[in-house]
Amino acid sequence: MASQLFKKILVANRSEIAVRVMRGCKALGIPTVAVYSEADAHSKHRMIADQSVLIGPPSPRESYLNIERIISAARETGCDALHPGYGFLAENPLLPKACKEAGIVFIGPGADAMRLLGNKVESRVKMADAGVPLIPGMKGSSADIAQFEKAAESAGYPVIIKAAAGGGGKGMRIVREESQLADALAAARREAMNAFGDDTVYLEKYLSDPRHIEFQVLADHHGHCVHLFERECSIQRRHQTIIEETPSTALTDELRARMGADAVRVAQAAGYTNAGTVEFLLDKSGKYYFLEMNTRIQVEHPITEMVVGVDLVVEQIKVAAGLPLGDHLKKLSQRGHAIECRIYAEDGENNFMPSIGTIVHYSEPEGPGIRVDSGIMAGMDIGIHYDPIMAKLIVHAPDRSTAIAKMTDALEQYKILGVKTSRRFMIEVLNHPEFVAGRTYTSFIDDHMSARATGSDGHVALAAAVASAVAAAPVKVSSGGSRKSSVSPWESVGAWQIGDTIGE
Amino acid sequence: MNKYQFICGSGKLDTSVEKSGQGWRVTIGESVYEIDPIHNGLFAIANGERRLFAAGVKHKGIYYIDLGRVQLELTEASDAASIGVADEQHKVKDKVFAPMPGRVVKVLVSVCDEVKERQQLIIVEAMKMENPVSAPAAGKVKAIHFAQGDQVDTESPLVELELP
Repeated sequence: MASQLFKKILVANRSEIAVRVMRGCKALGIPTVAVYSEADAHSKHRMIADQSVLIGPPSPRESYLNIERIISAARETGCDALHPGYGFLAENPLLPKACKEAGIVFIGPGADAMRLLGNKVESRVKMADAGVPLIPGMKGSSADIAQFEKAAESAGYPVIIKAAAGGGGKGMRIVREESQLADALAAARREAMNAFGDDTVYLEKYLSDPRHIEFQVLADHHGHCVHLFERECSIQRRHQTIIEETPSTALTDELRARMGADAVRVAQAAGYTNAGTVEFLLDKSGKYYFLEMNTRIQVEHPITEMVVGVDLVVEQIKVAAGLPLGDHLKKLSQRGHAIECRIYAEDGENNFMPSIGTIVHYSEPEGPGIRVDSGIMAGMDIGIHYDPIMAKLIVHAPDRSTAIAKMTDALEQYKILGVKTSRRFMIEVLNHPEFVAGRTYTSFIDDHMSARATGSDGHVALAAAVASAVAAAPVKVSSGGSRKSSVSPWESVGAWQIGDTIGE
Repeated sequence: MNKYQFICGSGKLDTSVEKSGQGWRVTIGESVYEIDPIHNGLFAIANGERRLFAAGVKHKGIYYIDLGRVQLELTEASDAASIGVADEQHKVKDKVFAPMPGRVVKVLVSVCDEVKERQQLIIVEAMKMENPVSAPAAGKVKAIHFAQGDQVDTESPLVELELP
């Protein structure tokens, strides 16, 4: 390969996304540095990096959110660029600022664009000026009920009243006709005051059963910006997506082109560079509305990579190094269908309650078009300190129904024992007649999955038969069940030392 | 021939195992299962027309079994007493524990409240998420041992219920 884009890249994150980013660095021949907390001494992201630096105790505040410590780790190891991944500091404008001051290239957008897009009110005004469709409603609050009546009338019923300080559904009221408005307004204010100590509320149009559609964009430092089509993220639990797919079954070529053009318009209006995601809500009538722009690489970026044939992390690094977008990004098309399932440490049979424990067995699925982005290995402990995402399973197939079949097989092949996951739940979602028909929307799980049968009686005998084979097998499964009974690479490797710079 | 008794939830199953070719023949009541070990805890099981691909591991006295779609945890009846699981579970419905260590962010009930089965009692924050802890059975709240902001582990009960 020609001259290296960067000497060395520090990845300021952990688990699967840190591993994913390092794979992109490796594809460009760039050495990597991992940072890790005391809780992550045996983590996969630390193992695959060329070097690693201990940055503090398990608490995120003292480690993965500690800008000063991370910047000094980059300095100590001679890194000239830093990738933030997603979560933690990825959307904190103080990180790009600190990088700049330290002479380190931040692989992501500039601090100003990040700050603007992080402020929902400011970015709403900016996007309205740029001609991007917004959910109709009030710009600010008012004490005057007449203002609410006026806004409701122009947006059209049903409308929703939301608390300005809101979250978690508190202070929210759906209003279906004008006669209910006064009562709903009073109730929302009361609830908002009780929950947040602030009774400021505002009103916007209520979209029933919308789809969540987002567009991937890439912008360089030379004024070029392209979109890499959509991802549909409508299958959500706890207001967070667990299954994503692309293309969306809801978009026609014409609608896709319009939304894509608006996504590019959003990025350009914000002065955005690097990879970002523009989120829209799409209602049943085919109208769409700008929601927000995420200024980071997304969890679900791999489905775009599979269908478009682009390595987004590699493109991020090239853009950060100052290269213009390559010609391959100017003639993009969508090939086939991709689905991603997020593998969280959570109990899909019990309200998605987080699950902790030791991974006592781990084997990944295989086959054409199957990709696993994982941050875990056999023998690892899943603790309470961090987000419970362990891995992502991605499949790519020529069409949607084959992708569903392939994902079902891959989820059945994927064996993770010792912590609970939602694999069974996701298999049932994927094979639900409404999902198969492509009728997905944000309350799909509430509407279609709450009545599912969770019993497993028919399987107990089969499980007991396998357990009998385990019990009878002449292996060194000590009945005391020490860690030795799990297959952990750490026990054979011993303490991790190579290339280490612990405690410098 | 080896004989085992497994406990799964409230059910008990007697199995007998004998060597069969490379694998094992397991008999449970009238049913016979042919199980071939593949490697590293993976097994293939004849299941009608299809072969099922399963994983099974014993760790700290618990058999973790993955049947592809369904994952189950079993214990041997002979082990169950020593690790204090399974059989005893129905008896401790009057004590409610946190599912994992964390911090109490909200207490939703008061002493003397009548609660329904699955009613949320306390919210514990762990892994950046709020996790509701629900009543395992209907009853009356007898005691609440923690308040908002307290750190909790999985060893001491959060709430005690008086069952009817």
